[in-house]
Order: sequence, then structure tokens, then C-alpha cells
Amino acid sequence: MEIVRVEDLWKKFKIPHERRTTIFENIIGALQMLGGKTLSYEEFWALKDVSFTVAKGESLGVIGENGSGKSTLLKILAKILRPDKGNVAANGRIAPILELGVGFHPDLTAKENILVYGTIMGLKNSELRKRMDSILQFAALERFRDAKLKNLSSGMQMRLGFSVAMETNPDIFLVDEALAVGDMGFQRKCLSKFKEFKNEGKTIILVSHALNLVKEFCERTLLLSRGEMICFGETEAVVDEYIKRVKVA
Amino acid sequence: MPRYSELVRTMTIKEFKLRYRNSALGFLWSLLNPLAMMVILTLVFSTLLRGGIENFPVFLLPALLVWRFFSIGTSMALWSIIGNASLVTKVYFPRWLLVLSSNLANLVGSTLEFLVLLPLLFALGMKLSWLTAFLPAVLAIEFVFIAGASLPLAALNVYYRDINQIWEIALQAGFFLCPIIYSASLIPSSYALLYSLNPMTRIIESIRKIFYYGTLPAAYDLGVPLLGGLILMMFGYAIFIKLEPRFAEEI
Repeated sequence: MEIVRVEDLWKKFKIPHERRTTIFENIIGALQMLGGKTLSYEEFWALKDVSFTVAKGESLGVIGENGSGKSTLLKILAKILRPDKGNVAANGRIAPILELGVGFHPDLTAKENILVYGTIMGLKNSELRKRMDSILQFAALERFRDAKLKNLSSGMQMRLGFSVAMETNPDIFLVDEALAVGDMGFQRKCLSKFKEFKNEGKTIILVSHALNLVKEFCERTLLLSRGEMICFGETEAVVDEYIKRVKVA
Repeated sequence: MPRYSELVRTMTIKEFKLRYRNSALGFLWSLLNPLAMMVILTLVFSTLLRGGIENFPVFLLPALLVWRFFSIGTSMALWSIIGNASLVTKVYFPRWLLVLSSNLANLVGSTLEFLVLLPLLFALGMKLSWLTAFLPAVLAIEFVFIAGASLPLAALNVYYRDINQIWEIALQAGFFLCPIIYSASLIPSSYALLYSLNPMTRIIESIRKIFYYGTLPAAYDLGVPLLGGLILMMFGYAIFIKLEPRFAEEI
């Protein structure tokens, strides 16, 4: 059964040549344009015509060089960015673990952040309070429960993000290179947890530069380059293709 | 909506906590600030300038409190999207919840200000009357107006940070264009209609009738701000929804 379907997905960003964020700057810019100056930003297509599907219980790897559109793709799947063209359909609850952290507020304590994030993910407050200890325990952050998030190290923040995201029991995990910051012990803990999720029939989409991890974990893989889909299929073959392309370059 | 009730509650509590975090006196500032303003303004406009208004503190304080409800409410909401950038760029949920939570945290704050400062008003010579029962209705109507103004302000501020500067000036103008430190009866009749159509003027007049004059607010005292608030909310929400898709990119 198919749980994620992406069809003809295009996403455009504007790269400004001079940054304009105030109305004053915009007026100046508009005046300059009247004077014959050309548009001061260029369009940049971060994703061009990407299509694929993911089956329920499948793990999909997404690989490609920096700036190839991997993170943009994940953010669109997470509904944080809106595509310019194409359709994205996801059939289930999504927990995105993007870059560092999952959506924490730096001035809130670890505990308060668990409450806010967990509620965003649809958990009941009473439920979260019950699971608070096990979340903190998995992140090994019991001692820091009342520390403000900004005072935690980036590894600690990531551990907290993982722990609470796992506890929200989603159908689809989106993981963007997040494991890289954790120490080896925690990485191993997460991997075994992910394997558990897989056995439970949950879907994982993993963006990573750790090709071994992708090979070990993902049945199929998507290779992106400059926003274009280079190939999509059996992980082994796609990873080989990626390595080949890097060597040629 | 019931789907989000728990989220709104959690976010409102979070907003309220964050507002007073890292401050030693915390919520006490919400009381000290209007009290200090009351003392200063009474000194200037009643003692020094001799405006001739009887019992100026009671004339002033309720108006000052509803004005604070509006000015703090909108200027906090202005930052409600940007201030939650770490959430907006990492996880999806309807973004208007952030504006609503900010407004609700402010409602809690203003209600507490009223509750604590009401006894002071009685001590200053205000008469306790059944009209006090109208306070919740006035605050509720003002809340609709604040929420309507907050939506476009918060959304536009993501794209143009000047909104913040513009709004600061607008609020300063509003403070003098509303009958806070003077009586609305001073306005010349040629401007009276335009002047009295300002929703905040009506709110202030309502609260003053309740607490100072001891009369019932007229229907238009509450009708104008309610209607204004509903219209603002319609347009404000439309602007918000239009701008929302690119918040994460523009923030």
C-alpha cells in the first residue's frame, strides 16, 4: 500500500542579489527598476519535476550532493514549504526531524518543549506528562529537564528531538541528517529503535550522506542532483551510481 | 477547532510564561507599569495642568487598562510568527494558532490586571455597581478587535519588518487620538462623528461609562468595535492565509 505519493514536484526559491526586507529598500529597488535596472533576484529551481512513491513500511533513502534539494524535498513533505507545481500526498501522521531539533523554543525548558512539541504532534497533555520520564530517559537528559533548551549542547537538543518525535508514534518519519550530531551510543540506540519501527510497518524517509547507513537501512533510494531526479530504485544500484558520478566529477 | 483546543491551551501557557521569563518581578510589572503611568499622568494632567476632571485616577485607569490590552496585545502578536521561527521552520500546524495564543496570553494578562487593580479603583472612590458585570463583555468585544488587527500585522511583519516601526507610531498616535487622558466631550462637533467611529474610542467610552460615569454603555459603544473587529478579522484572515504559505521561507 502506498503511503507517500509525489507527482511532478517543482519548487522555486528566489535568490536576491541584494537583500530587501524593508519597505524602504523595496521602494528604492522599485525606483531603480523604473530607471532600467533589471529584477534584482533570480529564480532558482530547488526541485525540478520530482516524482516517486513510497510504500507503507518501506524505508526510502534520499542522497545527493549539497544543495541538490534533499532538505527542500523533506520540508515539502512535512508541509513546511509549499510546492510551486505538482502534488504531494501523504497518508498518515508525519514526524519531521529536520536538521537540528524538531521545533523547540530556545527559552523554554526541556520539559516545556516536550509539552509544546508533543501537543503540536497531536498528543494529549495528560499523555505527555505520563510519558515525560521515559522521553527524558531515552534522551539521557533527566538531569537537564528544567534547563533551558539554549543551554543544552547541539547533540543534547538532537537527542531530545529524537526522543520526543519517537514518542509521538507517527506513521511516517522524515529524518534529515539528524543522526550525525549524536554520539555513537545514541546513534546505535536510534537505529535499533528505527528497526523496531520498521517491523511495526512504519515508513521512514532518510536523508543522509552516510551511504553505509542508507545501504543498511533503505530498500529504495532516490538520487538528486541540482534539483533533478537522477535515479530512483534499488538502494545498491543508486548508491553505486552516486559514487560513480562523484568519481567522474 | 476542538482539534486544536489543547494546542491553543499549551501555546497560551507557553506565551504567558515566556513573557515574564528572565524578569525578577515578573507579572508584577504588569501592575507597576499602569500604576506608574497613572501617577505620572495624574500629576501632569490633573495637578499641573488642572484639567478640571474630578477624581482623575478613576477617570484614567480603566481607560489606560483597556488601551494597554489593545496596544500590548497587538504589538506582542506582531512578533508571534517571527518569534516562533524555530517552530515555523520545523513543523507544520496552522500558523494562526500562534497569533491566537499570543492574543489569549494577553487576554489572561489584562484580565488579571483588571482583577487586581479593581479594588484599588474602589479605594480611590469608584462606586461598586452592578455595571461592573459588563466588564467581561467589553473585554470580549475588544478581544475580537485585537485578534482582527493582529492577524494581518503578524503576517505582514514576516515579510516587512517595518510594520513593527509603523505600528509603534500608530499606537502612539492612537494613545492621543483616543479619549484616554482627556474627555471625548472636548472634541469639536465637526470632528465628532469621525472621532467617535474609532472602535477604540468606543471601547474606552464603554469602560468609562461603566466605571466612572456609572451609566450603561450605549448599543453603538459596543456595536462599533464588534462590527469593526469582525470586518478586520475577515480581511485580516484573508491576508494571513494568502501570506502563510511562504512564512517558512521569508522568516
